[in-house]
Amino acid sequence: MRMLVTGANGFLGRRVVAALLAQGHTVRALVRPATPLEELGWPDSVEIVRADLRAARELAPAFEGVDVLIHLAAAVTGGDEAMFASTVSGTERLLSAMSGSGCQRMVLASSFAVYDWSATRGTLDEDSPLAAGAGLYARDGYAIAKAWQERVTRRFAAQHGWDLTVLRPGFIWGRDHGYLAACGQKIGPVHVVIGPFSHLPLTHVDNCADLFARAAVDPRAAGQTLNVVDGPGERIWGYLGSYLKGTGERGLRVPFPYTVAIGMVRLAFATLFKRNGKLPGLLIPCRFEARLKPLHYTNRRAQELLGWHPPFDHAECLRRTYDH
Amino acid sequence: MRVALIGAGQIARQHLSCLKTLPGVQIAAVCDLSPAVAESTAERYEVPAFFTNHAAMLAEVKPEVVHVTTPPTSHFRLAMDALQAGAHVLVEKPATVTLAELEELVRFAGERHLALTEDYNYVFNHGTREIARWVDSGALGAVVHVEVMMALNLFGPGGFADPNAPHPALTLAGGALADFLPHLASLAHRFVGAHRRAHAIWTKRRPSILPYDEMHAVIEGARGTAALGFSSTAQPDAFWLRVFGERAQASTNLFETRLTVERLRDGPKPLQPLLNGLEEGKAVRRAAVGTLMRKFKPGPGAYDGMWHLVAGTHEALARGTRLPVPVEHVLEVNRMVEALKPVETAQ
Repeated sequence: MRMLVTGANGFLGRRVVAALLAQGHTVRALVRPATPLEELGWPDSVEIVRADLRAARELAPAFEGVDVLIHLAAAVTGGDEAMFASTVSGTERLLSAMSGSGCQRMVLASSFAVYDWSATRGTLDEDSPLAAGAGLYARDGYAIAKAWQERVTRRFAAQHGWDLTVLRPGFIWGRDHGYLAACGQKIGPVHVVIGPFSHLPLTHVDNCADLFARAAVDPRAAGQTLNVVDGPGERIWGYLGSYLKGTGERGLRVPFPYTVAIGMVRLAFATLFKRNGKLPGLLIPCRFEARLKPLHYTNRRAQELLGWHPPFDHAECLRRTYDH
Repeated sequence: MRVALIGAGQIARQHLSCLKTLPGVQIAAVCDLSPAVAESTAERYEVPAFFTNHAAMLAEVKPEVVHVTTPPTSHFRLAMDALQAGAHVLVEKPATVTLAELEELVRFAGERHLALTEDYNYVFNHGTREIARWVDSGALGAVVHVEVMMALNLFGPGGFADPNAPHPALTLAGGALADFLPHLASLAHRFVGAHRRAHAIWTKRRPSILPYDEMHAVIEGARGTAALGFSSTAQPDAFWLRVFGERAQASTNLFETRLTVERLRDGPKPLQPLLNGLEEGKAVRRAAVGTLMRKFKPGPGAYDGMWHLVAGTHEALARGTRLPVPVEHVLEVNRMVEALKPVETAQ
């Protein structure tokens, strides 16, 4: 099958391309015009389409002969509006082009950021509430953009009768991406670990890419929404310890109870900061929770639906991330 | 006052946040080519209607005032359509791509007795207003010269020099820097009036898709001289306004809250540098804390000038009084901008 992959040279995209090639598919990679490709080491069989979704006017040719779109492209940096324009308006442009093509199947990389973490209790799964209304706009630009990207994609899919699979990865980690925002607050060499025993919704990039490659071709995935985590997740304290050991970075971990931290943030937000939405994320309760709230995670639906088990266990993921 | 906004990008957020605080102003609709941008903006700012077609919006909503906050190349068409629909227009800078287009808009607005104004937000920043107050009160003495210098790194990802998604402003004469000329010119105009002569030097220091990354100019104005500059490479980012008067020199960094003054004083001359230095030190320390603290406060933050201008514009429109930026100033500023543009690109 021919797969069109957006964000193909990104952290997840590279592994998805590799996984698709390993399965024998033809990959058409959408990459930005100025991206150098030599270091990616892609075989000549990978078809390259140069386009930036923020600016591209003519994307229809990219869909010629494509069976499945795997849409991974999204902005992870920049201001709120720039992220929205890139991620959401870019998706509108891409899917408008798809609607004029014969491609009827797509997989969207959504995110755990779309959930309403403040309203979720116990286990965060596919049925947990989504951030919406005023609560959504209190979140950071990434969460707002990802929520709208999913919304826009679902509307296109419903309108055109496409088979859509939405995959929502937790925190994707891997080589050069070991440090996560959930590791806490770094002040010089000191890591203040907020809620050291909380689990992290981890998915190693190679495991995550494996599920994307499977979902793209498995008819059972059509019309489904699946969270992507490798399992219940490591605890922050141990994960950060592995990171420090693996990278050789010198750092001191200092534990800080989550309940005390969120209590302080809530109090300061309501009084001192007068509910100002322009504060740094850690000082806004709903953003603090989306980064650090202690919840439980499961990949049960991916297991039950597709029989998916992450191909690499945690020890192997550590080796892939930190071994030289 | 029923207000509509066309172009719900980055700067629109400041317009909408400010408009929501104004008594007597109702944001009736927003418009953007992207359906998701239009809808999410309406949802976020609790605006009752959103459109992707500005003509449909103007016909259906019949706004009394339209804010045009799209990329500059579309301003002329949108502003003209809004005027034709009978709305006053506040257009983001740069108002139009060419002076001829602006003159056409001004003529048309005049015939219809409609207001046309351009956003010169830095003229209304706290620092600029304070200096203007000192000038008006005579504390600074007669203005001799003004320096306006913006240092802003345009080379970051997603910025003007991003080769993957060329910024719409790159099509302007002078490229991305032309987007900032109205800021420089409006500040010079505030203190020395309309220009008589101008000489600009456009250069390029770094390889990039920008046609130029530096612009430095001297202006002879009606009431004094001005030196204007834009640097994409000088760091850190800062926007310096320095006004030299016959009795004192005031300077402010418009990206921050820093505002200092050095003045002639009574008393022994050797003590003047000491007293000025102590006063300046105090002002710098206060501004350092103030710049940090405003990030923690709700409200306009670094956009206090724009909020002031938007509020003043709507108040003037409601009362039928003189606008904070009257149309003759828009013309004079844009004539100065035109005189600064690089000749080879303008042709």
